[in-house]
Amino acid sequence: MRTVALVVTAVLALAQPAHAYLHFTTTRAGQSITLKWQRTPVRWFVKDRGARGVSASDFQAAMARAFAAWEAVPTASIAFQFVGFTGAEPFDDDGASVLGFQDHPGLDRVLGATGFLIDTVTGEILESDIFFNAAMPWSTAPAGDPAAFDLESVAVHEVGHLLGLGHSALGETEPRPDGGRRVLASGSVMFPISFGRGVTHDRELQPDDLAGVSDLYPDGNFRRQTGVARGRVTRNGAGVLGAHVTAFNPETGRLVAGFTLNRDGDFHIAGLAPGPHVIRVEPLDDADPESFFSQRDPIDMSFQPTFHPRLFVAPAGGEGDRVTVAVTPK
Amino acid sequence: MKAALFALLLVAPALCHAQPAERPVRRVEVDAGGGVFGGAGLGAGDANLRGNAQAQQPFRLFTAETRLARAPSVHLRAGVALTRRLGVEGGVTRSRPEIRTSLSADAESAAPLTSVEPVDQYIFDASLVLTLDGLGAGSRLVPFVAGGGGYVRQLHEGRTLIEHGQAYHAGGGLKYWLFTRTNGFVRSAGLRGDARVQLLRGGIAFEDRPRPHAAISGSVFVGF
Repeated sequence: MRTVALVVTAVLALAQPAHAYLHFTTTRAGQSITLKWQRTPVRWFVKDRGARGVSASDFQAAMARAFAAWEAVPTASIAFQFVGFTGAEPFDDDGASVLGFQDHPGLDRVLGATGFLIDTVTGEILESDIFFNAAMPWSTAPAGDPAAFDLESVAVHEVGHLLGLGHSALGETEPRPDGGRRVLASGSVMFPISFGRGVTHDRELQPDDLAGVSDLYPDGNFRRQTGVARGRVTRNGAGVLGAHVTAFNPETGRLVAGFTLNRDGDFHIAGLAPGPHVIRVEPLDDADPESFFSQRDPIDMSFQPTFHPRLFVAPAGGEGDRVTVAVTPK
Repeated sequence: MKAALFALLLVAPALCHAQPAERPVRRVEVDAGGGVFGGAGLGAGDANLRGNAQAQQPFRLFTAETRLARAPSVHLRAGVALTRRLGVEGGVTRSRPEIRTSLSADAESAAPLTSVEPVDQYIFDASLVLTLDGLGAGSRLVPFVAGGGGYVRQLHEGRTLIEHGQAYHAGGGLKYWLFTRTNGFVRSAGLRGDARVQLLRGGIAFEDRPRPHAAISGSVFVGF
């Protein structure tokens, strides 16, 4: 018998923190189980209402483009199918994945969110719904609208969650006077804080997103053609939890990142092009740590951003030499 | 091998006195020695993020500038003089340069650092060697020019990855015959100095362009 759970995560915030690739997991008997779709194509519905300035058919077209962006990743194998319009609401526990606008004027910093119905034994995603906050100004204009958020860009982010990707910390922010954070730049569509109004950059996936989705849904050659960096981040000899680890390929200019995910400070980053990489570690201080980890995890953020003194060489298939990065306190 | 070469160097002066520098034709000559393989830039670039503006203005996370550093080298060559002036030779040069990536201008003030990785580099090549007129000293000191091409194989540390490319070279040098003779197993021996420009293409490269490396070497040769 299946055990199912409704998990609501992955809020794309308007002025809160964000990061690089991370897969959603659930824990059973102490084992971490990655959440992913096991049956494709993933079938999706669109709620039959629009919002101010965006009709239901404009909305559906923007969603279709967002799904197509993920479907086109050459090293991943995932497919989607639009089924039709529906009167059902996102987040109804009905077995149908519904995307649509909902009015949430109280969520004044939330552009959208994704929820899941999962099999907690196998990690299979059974249903995933996405709502877009109709209280926000939206645009589907091809070149963007300086007065509105680009619906397609936000949809690409939310569909990343629908696939099982968490937030990425590959980005830089600065504090805002109202207590939130403003994005200065990001290296991943899956960064938890959206670009500003009128910015359409997130219609296009970045290398970190490609690595993340390919690691989750690899096509036949992905594992053979790319390498994995594994290692550990330590401070005074002890593991650091929640450190953000970035691999930079000087040849391609690509940035792919991951996190230390346990108290031993272990990390792994897959999907690296063969060749030398610079390894850089920084604390998770550009976003709210809860965008990435649960509140009970004691994230260590009081250390200096640090480059590893050795270049890491990703092989073509398999793992390179293990890396240990020692960081120093701030 | 090293011990044998030094022994030959010590013995050679005793054999060479007053002998003319007859350059043997169609004889095999073996040459072993060492030198320095010069460094070259591999490329510079920024680690960029997308800026939060519709204009495509990148945000620099940090700057990276990479070069293949200078390193000692050893080589082994074998050649044949086809005529008194023209010869062919082939050989392998091994060195262990470091890839050095200088990291700076970090957006979050990470301390600047040079990140390194040693590489085992082998260049297998063939050359045409043109001997010029002697420079006196009983015609024992002879200049030459050489040029050719080959294959470069670079192994990252731990043999995690092997990279391949082409190597072209041009240069010249001097040979000094310590002795020559017309009979016996060893027919000649001498010292040789080389300076060349190695043009590497492919292999470990961050830009699609040939990289010039200066290389100098000194060696001992023995003719059979």
